[in-house]
Amino acid sequence: MNLIFLTILLPLAAGLLTLAVPGRWRGVREALLLLATLAGLVSALLFYKTTLTVNLPWVGFGLELSFRLYQFSAFIVLAVAVFSFLVALYSCWSMAGRPSAGQFFAYLLLTVAFTNGAVLADNLILFLFFGEALLLTIFGMIIIGRPGAWRTAVKAFIIVGAADLCLMFGVILTGKLAGTFAMSQINLPLGGPASLAFIFMMIGALAKSGSMPFHTWIPDAALDAPLPFMALLPAALEKLLGIYFLARLTLDLFQLRPESWLSTLLMVIGALTIVLAVMMALIQKDYKKLLSYHAISQVGYMILGIGTAVPVGIVGGLFHLLNNAMYKSCLFLSGGSVEEQAGTTDLTRLGGLFSKMPVTGACFVVAALSISGVPPFNGFFSKELVYAGALERGWTFYAAALAGSFLTAASFLKLGHAVYFGRASGQDNPVKEAAWPALLPMIVIAGGCVLFGVYNALPLHAIEPVLGARLAHSFAGGPENWWLVLATAVVIGLALANHFYGVKRSGKAAGASDHIHYAPGLAPVYDLAEKKYFDPYDLGLKLAGALAQFLYWCDRAIDWLYESLAVGLAAAFSGLLRWCHSGNLSNYAVWALAGAAAVIYYIIR
Amino acid sequence: MSSGALLLLLAVFVPVGGAFLLPLLGRWSASARNIMAFLLVLVSLACSTRLLLTVLTGQTAVYKFPFPLGMSFILSADGLAVFMAVVSALIGAIIVLFSFDYISHYENQNEYYFMVVLFLGSMTGLVYSQNLIFLYLFWELTAFASWRLIGFYRGRKDVLRADKAFLVTFFGALAMLIGFVFIYQQTGTFDLAAMKGLALPGLVVGLILCGILSKSATLPFQTWLPDAGVAPSPVTALLHAAVLVKIGVYVFARLFLMTFVLGAFWHTAVPVIAAASALIAAGAALIETDIKRVIAYSTVSQIGFIFLGLATGSLVGVVGGLLFILMHGLAKGGLFLSAGIIEQNARTKDITRMGGLFATMPVTAAAFAGCAFSIMGIPPFGGFFSKYFVIAGAVDSGQLWLALTFVLGAVLTIIYLFRLFNLIFLGPVKGIAAREGSRLMVFCVVLLAVLSLGAGALINYPAMAVRAAVAQMNGIVK
Repeated sequence: MNLIFLTILLPLAAGLLTLAVPGRWRGVREALLLLATLAGLVSALLFYKTTLTVNLPWVGFGLELSFRLYQFSAFIVLAVAVFSFLVALYSCWSMAGRPSAGQFFAYLLLTVAFTNGAVLADNLILFLFFGEALLLTIFGMIIIGRPGAWRTAVKAFIIVGAADLCLMFGVILTGKLAGTFAMSQINLPLGGPASLAFIFMMIGALAKSGSMPFHTWIPDAALDAPLPFMALLPAALEKLLGIYFLARLTLDLFQLRPESWLSTLLMVIGALTIVLAVMMALIQKDYKKLLSYHAISQVGYMILGIGTAVPVGIVGGLFHLLNNAMYKSCLFLSGGSVEEQAGTTDLTRLGGLFSKMPVTGACFVVAALSISGVPPFNGFFSKELVYAGALERGWTFYAAALAGSFLTAASFLKLGHAVYFGRASGQDNPVKEAAWPALLPMIVIAGGCVLFGVYNALPLHAIEPVLGARLAHSFAGGPENWWLVLATAVVIGLALANHFYGVKRSGKAAGASDHIHYAPGLAPVYDLAEKKYFDPYDLGLKLAGALAQFLYWCDRAIDWLYESLAVGLAAAFSGLLRWCHSGNLSNYAVWALAGAAAVIYYIIR
Repeated sequence: MSSGALLLLLAVFVPVGGAFLLPLLGRWSASARNIMAFLLVLVSLACSTRLLLTVLTGQTAVYKFPFPLGMSFILSADGLAVFMAVVSALIGAIIVLFSFDYISHYENQNEYYFMVVLFLGSMTGLVYSQNLIFLYLFWELTAFASWRLIGFYRGRKDVLRADKAFLVTFFGALAMLIGFVFIYQQTGTFDLAAMKGLALPGLVVGLILCGILSKSATLPFQTWLPDAGVAPSPVTALLHAAVLVKIGVYVFARLFLMTFVLGAFWHTAVPVIAAASALIAAGAALIETDIKRVIAYSTVSQIGFIFLGLATGSLVGVVGGLLFILMHGLAKGGLFLSAGIIEQNARTKDITRMGGLFATMPVTAAAFAGCAFSIMGIPPFGGFFSKYFVIAGAVDSGQLWLALTFVLGAVLTIIYLFRLFNLIFLGPVKGIAAREGSRLMVFCVVLLAVLSLGAGALINYPAMAVRAAVAQMNGIVK
């Protein structure tokens, strides 16, 4: 059995088996889940350095079963395996006793199978096949959340599904232009139809990674879906897949150059995503919803970095992908533990949890420092690389990224202060630390955040070969431009000052951002955004509704031709004939004579 | 007589002839009649499946009974015909099985089974006919059977709608017949095998297209199809989802891919009509509130995709169009049959008065969702492949805008199917909390959903049959 098929088929089979196992067999499903994800982890580790290709005929007409395991895909598969194992462990604890646990485990395994399939695929159509199949598992994982979650599930499905159709168009066009669907053989110059193909594939990649404007289901899912879902998909796997594909697009499939307008377009999307999403994150009063906006905002750094099309930015973007997956899933898991133990994620009702849940609190602090870009944690190093890349392309992009960092730091100061420090403002229930299956994944990931910061040569040496000859030297070690570090330090200092100003002004930690939230000029905009006036999904559905009304009117107009016009004509014609048959003898005589005259005329003519 | 010829005769005349015995049998025993009807279709399916194995080895089977003046009765099994015959007999058999319980408490059951089996037999006859006149005869036989079946409930509205369906398709067929006569004047025969490679004048193509588009309920002849939703649900599934509307598509492939050479103009004109049809029907599906009308409009819309695939003249597109016939038949059959269960147990067809049925009929809901995913084209369901190849065909032929229009149509498909699913199965219960249907009915629905999934997961088998079919076509840019 080929290793590549094992990576895909093992979780697939385990997932289907999990669905079939009856719920009363205690522990069987958990064992299946853990064993399958562990086996995935072990095999990904064992074969990390292997290069392997598979080409088998399948449907034909461009669609072949071709896979390629090489350093980039092996790296992503390893990351997927690590996160899926840790989240699987966590969900054994957090999903315990829920009726939908079996379904969740099955969808988790299927998600791993499809993600591995997409990452390993060396055929664009095959990539599309696996990537689009994820729609089903995302839908399933959200819909089994709290009652009413189906709205979010449908929203996610429609947004990502529409983007996947765009991806499909891009795939087809690329295949047509390149004359092949084999990803390792495509390298198109941009311009004309190739740019069109790039944009459509880019839409698919951006929607997969949860960037703006395809993001609006993520905050909804934060509240509706089971928590491990957030830690696994929007935080880790979706970004791994989406950004992996974006990197393949810009590095291999197309020749994206720094001076091209498409590179600028990507950077603009990245910068807007960073700033707008973090603006929303800042004012949230719910642990999970706040995190979900950061899950969107952080993807902006990756897109910005890759969009720069300069080596330092690309390496930074990919490094940030890995770092974000780590601290973001750790943060979501901490949020899940708090919800499970304290019974709420409302910031105004939480407080002082650090003394009661010290391990969770410590992991949170590490992850929060990482995401805020504080040295020596991993987020600092990847952000500095992205900054350097952005600055190379223009100071406005750098400024946007820096502004995003200020707001990120501010919102995590608020979150940490409100939840783990300060006083508990709600009821005084005895909150205890979570169990070890919940703690272990967080400890491992938090440890990774420290390791990848202090010893960043380890991840960077795995990422950098992806760039191939483009890379002049390694970026491992400390930042090269200390002015940028100074700017970062100033920004973090400002965030601290801002936080204590906000706390002092509002009198409570959860209100640390109120002075920005209710600032004149911003307050009405925030109000509209909270009421989802800017949700592209709602706008899109309204547009589709209006289009449908028009089309329906066209259909009714055609139906009128049959129901009224055709019937009317038939009635008029038969009315005419009826009028002719008046029963009047002289009339008939005239008809007969006229007929006879016509016949005679025809004969003698 | 060779075994292939015998199989052809059995595939067509066992159901066509046997149908006449069903009313007699029904006087004696209802269940004997039901089982007999099922067996007749099954025999036809078995014969066609056996022929499929023959065709996969690259051979064809022919039966010929000579008549003078180019009117010989010829049945021929090539890749295209066998593929279509197997698809329609397979779905037809499942629908007949579903009817056992669905129709059991209505009057006129003898006529029902008579017409259904006659319909399926004539459909098989049409598919295998290699002579335009017999093709036309079988075509009108299906029209007659569907006319009786649409008006099955005998209400005034039902009868009017049946008349509308019959008249629209009949006038279309008449135009087509005139086209056939023109061809006869040119060639002196109705034998399709003798016409390979013939280029037809534009007027004749237009006349034939009138027949094809009216039978396949495509713009501007589409509105009879949603109106025909007054029929019993298995009939709607049979006629309007899986089998009848595919006649037009099939004849298009038979005439313009296998026989005549289509001018460049039509390679653009037909896809444009198809695009308009796909969009307008998708829009209507988003507005309608009657469960069966929504699904019927969805059919009209999806038929547009099939025409797109077949008409652009690209190999990939034709592959997609043929796969689409199979995938859409399975999934849409499942949707209509589910709609039948829902309609009977919720005692309404108005989706705004349903809701929350997932709790009370989870199996049907899951099957419905599976079929809907296939129609949307979500992998690993079969619909993914057909939708992909159809749009790839449009791009392949260089018509990017057309492809983008169909991408928009596919987005609308996702939206209207979710609207339908949400209103029926999710949210609060607004009407009756309907129970599951009988075991047999639920089994049929689940079977169609599983087949939709299986046809995608094991796509290499349908792809094999399609490859055999396109290998024998001549009107394709390869």
